[in-house]
Amino acid sequence: MTWLTPLAGLLLAAAVIPPLVLLYFLRLRRRPMPIASTLLWRQATEDLRANAPFQRLRFSILLLLQLLALALLAFAIAQPQVDAGSRRGGRTVILVDNSASMNATDGGEDRTRLQQAKRLARGRIERLFGGGIFGGDPGEVMVIAFSDRAEVRTPFTDSRSQLLAAIEGIQPTDGTTRLEEALALARAFTTNVDPDAKDRPVEQPAALELYSDGEIADLSEQVLRGGESLEYTVVGDPETANVAIVGVAADRPYDRPGTVQVFVSVANFGPEPAEVDVQLAVDGVVRAITPKPVKLAAAGIDPTTSLYQPGREQVVFLPFEQARDALVEVSLLHQDDFPVDDRANMVLPPARRLKVALVDPKGFFLREVLVGLEGVMIERLDILSADDFAKLVEEDRADEYDVVVLDDVVPKQMPKAARILSFGSAPPVEGLNEYGIKEHVLVRALRGDHPIFRFADLDDLYVSRMHTIAPGSDVQVLAEAAEGPLVVAVSRGALSLVHVTFNPLDTNGPFGRSLVNMVCNAVEFLGNTREAIASDGLRAGQAITARVPATADDLKITLPDGTSEPVTATDTSVSWGPVRSTGVYELSWTQPGESGRVRRRFAVNLLSDQESRVAARPEVKLGEDRVAGAKASDAVQTPLWPWALGACLALLMVEWWMYRERTG
Amino acid sequence: MSTAASRPTRVDELLDSRLMAKLDQLDVVSRKIFAGKLQGERRSKRRGMSVEFADYRHYVHGDDLRFVDWNIYARLDRLFLKLFLEEEDLSLLLGIDASASMDYGSPNKFVFCQRLAMALGYIGLANHNRVTLFTFGGEGLQRLSNLRGRRRTQEMGAWLLQRQPGGATGFDDAMRTIALSRQGKGVMVVLSDFLYKEGYEKGLRYVSGGGYDTFCLQVLSPEEVDPGNHGLSGDLRLTDMEDEDVAEVTVTPGLLKKYRENLNAYCGTLRDYCVRRDMTHATVDSGTDMDTLLLEYLRRRGLLK
Repeated sequence: MTWLTPLAGLLLAAAVIPPLVLLYFLRLRRRPMPIASTLLWRQATEDLRANAPFQRLRFSILLLLQLLALALLAFAIAQPQVDAGSRRGGRTVILVDNSASMNATDGGEDRTRLQQAKRLARGRIERLFGGGIFGGDPGEVMVIAFSDRAEVRTPFTDSRSQLLAAIEGIQPTDGTTRLEEALALARAFTTNVDPDAKDRPVEQPAALELYSDGEIADLSEQVLRGGESLEYTVVGDPETANVAIVGVAADRPYDRPGTVQVFVSVANFGPEPAEVDVQLAVDGVVRAITPKPVKLAAAGIDPTTSLYQPGREQVVFLPFEQARDALVEVSLLHQDDFPVDDRANMVLPPARRLKVALVDPKGFFLREVLVGLEGVMIERLDILSADDFAKLVEEDRADEYDVVVLDDVVPKQMPKAARILSFGSAPPVEGLNEYGIKEHVLVRALRGDHPIFRFADLDDLYVSRMHTIAPGSDVQVLAEAAEGPLVVAVSRGALSLVHVTFNPLDTNGPFGRSLVNMVCNAVEFLGNTREAIASDGLRAGQAITARVPATADDLKITLPDGTSEPVTATDTSVSWGPVRSTGVYELSWTQPGESGRVRRRFAVNLLSDQESRVAARPEVKLGEDRVAGAKASDAVQTPLWPWALGACLALLMVEWWMYRERTG
Repeated sequence: MSTAASRPTRVDELLDSRLMAKLDQLDVVSRKIFAGKLQGERRSKRRGMSVEFADYRHYVHGDDLRFVDWNIYARLDRLFLKLFLEEEDLSLLLGIDASASMDYGSPNKFVFCQRLAMALGYIGLANHNRVTLFTFGGEGLQRLSNLRGRRRTQEMGAWLLQRQPGGATGFDDAMRTIALSRQGKGVMVVLSDFLYKEGYEKGLRYVSGGGYDTFCLQVLSPEEVDPGNHGLSGDLRLTDMEDEDVAEVTVTPGLLKKYRENLNAYCGTLRDYCVRRDMTHATVDSGTDMDTLLLEYLRRRGLLK
């Protein structure tokens, strides 16, 4: 049981009960009445014998009843409630997790965890601000919703309605969960910004109240600062099992670009082994179902690494013919509390090969590599002279080629829109300032995660001669030697450029596979041919970016729920986001010469081990601080004061009746 | 409880003519026959001049020859003197308690005593008795002595109307003064509630025995006789009207029962005391109808005939 206004009740009891007892002592409540003689009355009652103002308090059932009634009244005014942990006053930050895992439907009564968390948070606000005139100071409360990013729903306020509206307005997202930003926001609002006193907070550090399922990615990186306290209310069921798609990929084999092969990674996050059928649908038509259910081991702690390990299986579907673009949907044929990760979409662009121009080839290497790719990745390879290229630029037709490869060519003018891979001397692009030649260079650092270094580590690359450049601040350095950048990437509006500061023939590259792979990757990267092979799409929280023709008009994005929003293009690129929920987004526009709208689809998937592990954590650990969660209860806070008041009235009636009986 | 405003202000409010007419038939009875000073309408122990024969005795020298029974002398040739009972006037003393405690009750005890005294005094005057009224209380002993004859009725009424209740009783002193200033013998009626904290015994002792045929009429108000049915309830702080003594009571059925027992015991003790000293005691409720009281109750109790 908790008390909303214990102080008021105590004050009332302290103010009323002693005077009542004192009244019985002093007998001050008697009605004065003159009488002819007290002679007979004195004899009649033993009361009269005691003349002293104070006398021994005799047992009186009336006094007992009155004391009981007063105690009940004080009890009622203290507003007891069953269940709740109520701290009052000070500053409170309510952190509501609205990440993907909070969409799990184990919140009871077919509600999601987020709905449950919102209801609990609302209840908390009601408790803080409840109690009416007897309630103490509820202090100030701030509401932050957080997933992969945090949002201040309302800054510190003492307005109950504002807080309730702020909590009500929290929308579900399919983002991952990170607490760092939320904590930083909360601290920003409580920390003093006065430069003269920057080492101390403005007021007491806020009390943090976390409404979450405890599945927070960066929890171990966070610590509670001195004075901060965290109350964790567990939302959801710690026993909730879940089977999820944690990875998808589709590929068109090099040799058969008209076919598609789909790969799926399925994981079981439940404590029991599971079996699940996986279904593949293309443009809404079911193409395949796994011939027998995929058996998944139970999740558990791996004894060798002491890390949590879900039961994982890979599913590979047989290749199927699909030359045109398509929407591929992979889904699990089962029911669980977390349907978001039972489905993943991929947008499959049409099979497409690149048109590539090689300008002024100086040696065999680039020509041979590109010719080798012809028919596989490259549909058409044109060998252009420097003059041809200059003419192309002049006519603004460089965009006709998917990729233009400059072999140590410095054109007088760069095209406005083109994707260029250049070697040797730096082309005249802002940010690439060539200042000299270096010799005998080895690769020192490499952005290994960049697509152009796939299977190309360049560790053994020896460069006998390179053009040193001073890269501008917005130039991305992909590979570096001690003497300067070796590979850089620049983007200037519609112009994308990957520049390699050496000539391949000045290296030992032609004798290994790394440089060959790098050239292939660079062409693929620039020509976006990777798009032809569907990736697993975007994640919630990321932005949709796309390149559209300069003539595109009336751009619109259609969300998974069917609503659409207008978007505007900057130059030839469109950005929209961050996306909040998973599903298929469609960007469409009109274009001269095209009948109907041109459409492009984007798949947003969850594909997160972290979020798919939906079992609610009974405790969270911030740094070294373990915070045990209070179990979320669906029980409504039942106020007891009406009962107490009723009992008080009943007692008063009994007391009145007894009084009448005694005096009547 | 009565206030000054509800007190009678005129004599006919004390005694109306209708009751007066009825009282004409009554007389005050003395169980003893007292010697009066003036010849009255009452038999005296002293032989005298009345027509009622009492006895004979031998003639001695100097006796009035008018009273010699000549018929006896003719038969016996001896002189006998006829003795007649002398009819004397009766001395009637009416004492009224005018202490503060009498100014209580509904009907007011003091007003009731004023009316009763007026009625008894009128009876006395109408029967040519020597009527003396006195009050004792806050004003001390006030006296109106030796009224005789109907024509003194107004004077008596006016005097009664002037009396105001208040203060302590002073019963003992008053009785002592009355006893010491006794002139002859007579009937004394004391109208009081006899609720004296100092006790009534000493005062009554002065007037017992000797010269008076004493009637103690104990006047109690209905509130005193039955407080439970007359507004006494709850937790009360009772203040004594005479000495401001405070008694705090919680009125309960048990307490009321105990009170009634105490009252009965008190009255019983007073009655016993009176009987032992050859006095008459009667308890009168101030709510009693005056006609009933005078024409029935007091006649039954032997004060009037």
